[in-house]
Amino acid sequence: MTRDIAIVGYASTPPQTEVRETETQMLFPAVNEALERAGVTRKDVGFTCSASCDYLSGAPFAFVQTLEVTGAWPPISESHVEMDGAWALYEAWVRLHHGDIDVALAFASGITSRCNWREVSSVQLDPYYLMPLWVDDVSLAALQAQALIGSGKITEKAMAEVVARIRGGDAAALLDEPYVVEPLRAHDTPTMTDAGAAIILATGDKARELCEHPAWIAGIDHRSEAHYPGVRDLTLSNAARIAGEQAGVGKGPIEVAELAAQFSHEELLLREALGLGADVDVNPSGGTLASNPVTVSGLIRIGEAANAIIDGGRKRTLGHASAGPCLQQNLVCVLEGD
Amino acid sequence: MTDQQTDEKVAFMPQMVNLEYRIVTSPIHQRFDKQMREGRIVGQKCPSCGLVFVPPKGFCPLCAIVMTEKDEVAVKDTATVTSFTVITPIQYQGQKEREEYVLANLILDGADSSIGQQRIEGIPHHDVRMGMRVKAVWATPEERAGEEGGGMRGWGLTAAVKHWEPSGEPDTPREQYQEHIL
Repeated sequence: MTRDIAIVGYASTPPQTEVRETETQMLFPAVNEALERAGVTRKDVGFTCSASCDYLSGAPFAFVQTLEVTGAWPPISESHVEMDGAWALYEAWVRLHHGDIDVALAFASGITSRCNWREVSSVQLDPYYLMPLWVDDVSLAALQAQALIGSGKITEKAMAEVVARIRGGDAAALLDEPYVVEPLRAHDTPTMTDAGAAIILATGDKARELCEHPAWIAGIDHRSEAHYPGVRDLTLSNAARIAGEQAGVGKGPIEVAELAAQFSHEELLLREALGLGADVDVNPSGGTLASNPVTVSGLIRIGEAANAIIDGGRKRTLGHASAGPCLQQNLVCVLEGD
Repeated sequence: MTDQQTDEKVAFMPQMVNLEYRIVTSPIHQRFDKQMREGRIVGQKCPSCGLVFVPPKGFCPLCAIVMTEKDEVAVKDTATVTSFTVITPIQYQGQKEREEYVLANLILDGADSSIGQQRIEGIPHHDVRMGMRVKAVWATPEERAGEEGGGMRGWGLTAAVKHWEPSGEPDTPREQYQEHIL
């Protein structure tokens, strides 16, 4: 059995470079605003799924405290993923298909300013071959960018044009900047931020009752590459391509695509993998390059793609999330308006 | 399948991992820390449900509404043990404990949320019990003023209370604290 499921409310906190309040306090306004926009209360929520990573704050079970934003008394039905919030949304979507509830909440929080993310990203790698080298996400991304440049698929100039579109500035001048890890310059790497985000999902008639222009989930799928980057062809993103195919990206024109491209070259690779033409408005929000709250970025992409339908007048949009080195895991969510 | 014996040695690969974090004390916990150094335990009382949370959170986790300094109430430095553990320390780098010790969960008089990880002293370990009444033993004002005198990451109390010891009052009946047993 399948049910029609839509995003009916989304909110995120303004990204900050260093949040001083607690993670739960940071999340509060996002959850409140998402509920308010959907026109529901906490009591209406049948299932909650949260997302965060304890390695960001360096405190075991840090995620438990953020549950307090749900007012979890009497006890609620909930779950947590140590992943991007897009996967929390996926779990909530699956849960709604059970058929017994019609409203679900997915939220994510990430405070990256307390840790050295390049170190933490290294510890997430396999413990035998990669982690002892302390190879980090920027170095691995540079390998992928180099592979793409070597294959002739992209150029540093094309990367600079992505950066200029998102961050402003002159693409030619950007190429004069020094490398951080060749061929990546500082502006090719994401601006790390602290933020929280929340999305309300509702089914069928409930969604129509709550929202004038629900963003219906027409297709959603997630795929992963092999764990070890050394066995992959880094010039391809097969996981993104297959997830896109399964989510039905090609079944109609996409107007807006919000891609979790942390690095400039990733946007170019994802455009190819998802078959997005020059007419698609990619990352009007600025995307993950402009603001990367770890474990929140993907959920924000889906929320922004949904808002383009809910109050932006668009009819067909796409939200993408990724995690792991060199776009290892990819989730694609195709949204449609009535 | 039976266990197979082998003379082959198991290979070990030492791998030192060091991750550094910055501890950022939130404004609400900085304020709590300051009050503890002054010798006061201050929580927040929810204007909706009336429950008192210590340490304060800046919101009521049950009503999901924001709380501020306007909702502050002082609670007492006497408490009831709701649960406890006798801990036998294992030795690892950085471990300072050598002997068995007791950590307890306490419900402070005037509070509705319990606090964990509170050290109980001044009583043989086998006599510690649920319902036992205890009182705070504060660090001296000089000790509290020092760098090590506070410290607040959002849970427990701060170093301003060194430990708790029996107050000699009759035990609290179970019905009065059973909702706070972990």
